[in-house]
This record gives sequence, C-alpha cells and structure tokens, in this order.
Amino acid sequence: MEYNGGSVVAMIGKDCVAIASDLRLGQQSVGVAMNFEKVFPVNDKLYYGLPGLATDVYTLREQLRFRVNMYRMKEEREITPKTFTHLLSSTLYEKRFGPYFLEPVVAGLTTPTELEPKPKPFISTMDTIGCITTPKDFAVAGTAQDKLYGMAEGLWEPDLEPEDLFETISQTLLNAVDRDALSGWGAIVHVITHDKVITRQLRSRMD
Amino acid sequence: MALFDQRPAYAHEPTVAPIEHRFSPYSDNGGTILAIAGADFAVIAGDTRQSEGYSIQTRYARKVWQLTDNATLATNGFAADGKNFVKRVKQRLEWYEHAHHKPMGLKAIARMIQTMLYGRRFFPYYVYNILGGIEEDGTGAVYSFDPVGSYEREACRAAGAAQSLVQPFLDNQIYFKNQTPAPGAEAFVPGRLPMATVLGLVVDSFTSATERHIEVGDGLEMYVVMKEGRQTTDLTDEGQLPAGMKVEELGSMGEGRGEKTFLVSMPLKRD
Amino acid sequence: MNHHPGAWGQPLPAHAQFDMFNPGQSYRQAPKAAPITHTQQPLVTGTSVLGIKYEGGVMLAADNLASYGSLARFRDIQRLHPLGKQTVIAASGDMSDFQWLKKELDSILREENGLSLTDSHPSLSPQHIYDFLANLFYARRSKMNPLWNAMLVGGWDNKKNESFLGFVDLLGTTYSAPTLATGYGAHIATPLLREAYEDKAGIDGKGPLLTAEEAEKVLADCMKVLFYRDARSINKYQTATVTSEGVKISDSKSVETEWGFAESLRGYGAQNQ
Repeated sequence: MEYNGGSVVAMIGKDCVAIASDLRLGQQSVGVAMNFEKVFPVNDKLYYGLPGLATDVYTLREQLRFRVNMYRMKEEREITPKTFTHLLSSTLYEKRFGPYFLEPVVAGLTTPTELEPKPKPFISTMDTIGCITTPKDFAVAGTAQDKLYGMAEGLWEPDLEPEDLFETISQTLLNAVDRDALSGWGAIVHVITHDKVITRQLRSRMD
Repeated sequence: MALFDQRPAYAHEPTVAPIEHRFSPYSDNGGTILAIAGADFAVIAGDTRQSEGYSIQTRYARKVWQLTDNATLATNGFAADGKNFVKRVKQRLEWYEHAHHKPMGLKAIARMIQTMLYGRRFFPYYVYNILGGIEEDGTGAVYSFDPVGSYEREACRAAGAAQSLVQPFLDNQIYFKNQTPAPGAEAFVPGRLPMATVLGLVVDSFTSATERHIEVGDGLEMYVVMKEGRQTTDLTDEGQLPAGMKVEELGSMGEGRGEKTFLVSMPLKRD
Repeated sequence: MNHHPGAWGQPLPAHAQFDMFNPGQSYRQAPKAAPITHTQQPLVTGTSVLGIKYEGGVMLAADNLASYGSLARFRDIQRLHPLGKQTVIAASGDMSDFQWLKKELDSILREENGLSLTDSHPSLSPQHIYDFLANLFYARRSKMNPLWNAMLVGGWDNKKNESFLGFVDLLGTTYSAPTLATGYGAHIATPLLREAYEDKAGIDGKGPLLTAEEAEKVLADCMKVLFYRDARSINKYQTATVTSEGVKISDSKSVETEWGFAESLRGYGAQNQ
C-alpha cells in the first residue's frame, strides 16, 4: 500500500452517495504523477475506488471491466452496487494466497425495482482478500486511512443533501491527505444522485 | 554406504540458539491528549483510559496535571515515565518558587521541559508532552514536545494513540485549513475561537477518537486555564458547555496573578 | 623482582617471566571481580494475584505455588505479606525478588515503627508503602536491573477511613482501580471481578459495594477459573483482608472443582476410547 500511496473515501447522503480520491502516484517518497485517478465508473450510478498498488489498479480495473461486461451481456441489465461488491470480493478472494494489494471502496445507488422499491444509498469496502463491510455512514481506505477516519467521524452527519455531502467529503479528504505524505497532489470527487453525477477536481496543497 | 554418507550441506543440524530475551524498560499505555489555545484561555485535555496491548489496566488514570495557576501539562506514552517526569517538573517548579519568590512563567517552563527531556537524550522519557496555559503577556498558549525535547509554540496540538485521527480535524477546525472565508467576510485567524466553540471541538475530537480507536475512551478530562478576570459563569452559563459535564474550580496554587483553572470532565464510551 | 606495591607478598606464579617493561602488570594476579549480574529473567515464579475493594475493606488472593518453569516446585509458598496493621502486598513474578523485597520492607517498617513509638512520627499508610514500591520499581527499571514482579498493594487508610488498592510492576507502571489482577488473571479474572463489582456499585462505583462474603465468593470463583485454565496455578490459595480492624491472612483453602466432563473428551480424561 505504501509503495505508490493514495487514498479513497466514500460517504452516504440523502438519496445520494459520494466517492473521492486523491490524484497522487508515487514511488515511495518520490511523487511521480499528479493525475492518477483511483475512482472508476461501472455505470452512471455505481463507482468504485482502488487505492493501493498502482499496477494492481490497472489489472483489477480491466478484470472488473471484463466481468461487468459479461454480466451485462448475460443478464441484459446493469449490475447493482451490492452484486458488484460481491463480484469484486470473489475476484479478490481468487487470489487469496497472493493477493492484489488493493483495498477497494464501492459507492452507488440502486435503481428501484418491484422487489426493492425503496433501495438505500449503498457503500461498501473490503480488505485485500475481499472481506466485505457495508457501513451506514462512510468508508475510507488507503495510506491516509486513520486521518480519514478522524475527519469523517468529526464532519459527517446523516441525510446530507448532494451539495452538503460534496463539501463534507471534500473537506474530509483534503484535510486528511494534507497530513499524509503519501497522498494528496490534487483530488477528485464524484457525487452520485439519481439523475446525475457531479464530478469536480479539487484544488489543494501540492506539497 | 549411503546411510553413513555425509549429509548434503543444506541438511546440517539446525543451530539451536538460546532465545534472546532482553529486558525492555519501555511500554506503551495508549490514550490521547490534546490542547488548544484561545485568545485569553487554554484548554488541555486527555482521556482517562490506561491500557497495555489489548488489556485496559484502569478506566481512570490521570494524564493531565495542573502545574501552576497558569500552566497545565498533559503527558502521553509510557505512563511510568510520564508520572515520574511530571514529578520532577513539579519539583523543579517548587525549587524555582523558593529561589525567586514567584511561580515560573509558561515559556520558562516550556524551555525547562525541553532541557529536562534532552538531558535524557540517550535514555529518553518515552513521553509526548503538551503544555498549555496563559503566557506572561496574558495570551493563551500551547507548547508541544517530542520525547527528546524538540518543541514549539502552537495554537493547537494532538498527541498519542489517536493523534492521526484528531490532528487533521484540528487543522481544519482550528487553523481553518482548506477553508476560505465567504467573499467580503473577515479573514480567519487561528487561536481566536470562543471558549464554547473550543470545548465543543475538544469533545467532538475525543468522541470521534473513542469511536474509532480502541485505546481511547472511558473518561475525558479538560483543564481550562483562564486569564484573570474571567468568571466561573463563562463556563457554567447556559450554552457554554455540551450536556453532561461536571465542572470543578481548582483552587489557586500560589501567588499567581489571578488566573483560574477549571476541571471539566465527562464520561466517554467504555467499549 | 616486582617492586610494585600491589605485588608485595605475592608468591611468584609458576613459570612466570618477569616483564621488565611493564613490571606492575607482569605477574600480579588481577583480582577477579564477579561480573555484575542483573535479573534478566524470572526463575522461580508465582502466577497471578487478585484484589477487590469491598464494603469496609479490600481483599487480595494468591495461590500457594512457586513454579520453576513448568515444574510446580514449591507448593506451600505464601505470596501475601502483611506490612504493619493497615497494608498487605501480594506478589506475582520472581519469588526471590519478592523475598528480598519482603526483607527490605520489613526492615523499613521496623525502623518506622520504632520512630512512631517515640514521637508523633506517623506510621506508614498504604499510600506511603505503595509510593515507596512504585519509586523502587521505577528506579530499578531505570538502572536496567528490574525487580521482576507485578505487585498489588491492598490497604485500609485509618486517617481517611477508606480502602486502598494499587498495582505496580517491573517497569514502574502504576495504576489503581476497584478491582485489579496481575498476569494471566488480568485476562481471565478481571472481567469477572469488574462484572461482580459493577453489578452492585454501578459503573461509576457510587452504589453499594460488595459485602465481605460476596467478595470472598467472587475471588473464590476467579481462583477456580484460573485453576482450570492457568497451567501455572494450584488449587490451594489464601486470601488477605484489610479493614479498619487490621490485616487478616486466611489459612490455605481450595475450591470445589468438577472434572467429570473430562471423561468424555478424548485426550483429556483417562484414555479408554
């Protein structure tokens, strides 16, 4: 985890979720790139973040793209956040004894169906071998994990509207990565609502 | 005969070395401390849990110590070193008072602490210290130290087990990091927050740390050092303190200039 | 001939050659000072000790075993020791360090008692003895020559009219709480002791405390669980109570144990299956 650095945070709001990452890619203490996004879309209501070893980020992202496309073709529908979490989990567990060095975070909204007419906003996170946790408030991962926990625990409150959630997750991420030598160098935030995704790049300390 | 052939090099007897068990004179007793300076007051706080590994040794052990009327010291790290270091500091303060017929000033205490810590450079006190109080010019001040005496004056500082959780929060809320004033509004100045706001932030910091760190919890003690002229009612008045607080005024310790120290305490989660 | 004063009267070692350039060193035998030895590991050890505050006093418990590694070497050792009329100490860890400590403390107490007879010199309270122990243990650890013990100090302060219970160990770490346990007992007995204490007194300790009978019962329960699970324990223990009346150390006692279940467990009871 400490080889390339980087952090991801996700939060639940009122009928919305947000997920954000820093943009640093490093080789230990040396910064290499400042445009390394760690959050990727699955569809327009589901994003996931992969903080950890950069080479594994590419591998797992492509692996997941393949598996989600197969799912889409076989099922002829979009994958739900919950199903995607389990897909990701089993993909990680396949490499139980030589794991990907990644701690994924998933954030998404479930489209209402007849079986589940009022789905709740969904976030989840897991360890390197796919052990899932589904928090009701926020999920954090990466080299600034401790700091993100402290910030999020202090700033987050239930039922935030999209714009307030954006402010909360942005402040959480920025202040956490500013105290982490291996994270920072810019940040990107996605706020997912039922009718749109708001994506903003944040200006931050670049030291 | 193959049976008596010399064994290959990789199959030599495993060397049996006695397990080296050297006495380690240190331990880590967990917990977290925090101090914030205001314009004319300082808050020095610490939780009351003392632990070793996964065991809670006691739910009430003191980490914050009133030194003089205008100085309070918080210690965190190895509890035995902490207690004995505070004992030595108090002894030096008493000697100073006998020699000079006045209590030592805050910045002098800070320099003395650095000297005492550095004096043990090669067998350090495994303790992080945060000193808070009222400076001789009447301003609230916080000094933070590392175990071997490096120190600086700051507006706020967290140390201990949950430092990494609390310090970014303080950067944001005390130093207003990553915040910009609304267009036309006054600029943010750190160290000028009202007491009620500061106490609220201390409580939030510790409840957050308690939630996410196993070594933090059980109880919270906040020592509030106020400049002369401020009243007890500044603390006890409606809306100054979050609910469920116990306030106790600590008596004067000598010939100060009328600074007051209060102990505000509350329970924290015990799990 | 060596004229160095250090060699006066010393016989010449056999086959010694005189070093004319270094006469002082040549065949004067250097006195062989024994190397300074520190306790680097405990040898004969006592296992956990327990303590709890109850209504009107404090109660400590310790079993009678002093082990030599895994060998149950001395099975009638008293690990509770009275110090004057208001204090008891209970020791786990190295028993020779404990015996040295007893001797040292007894001598200090004797001196202090002599003084307290002749003038208004106050006798040592439990707090005094505890502070002395804490300072001693911390000083010894700072010399890298620790007393290898974890100790409980129980007492009754006649002036304040309240009980005292404190812990101190080889690092000089100190703390106090209404219930305390050392070693294995800190893991196994502490939850039982705290539960029993808090059930009556509440988490703030403001409710009524356990009675002496209840305290004795919960200590017996803890000693039983420890005997079941601590391989370095023995089913023979003593309790000490300190009240305003003074110190009482009980005779050795044991608890009822149940081993019937072992028969049905392969590898636990007799091997007949």
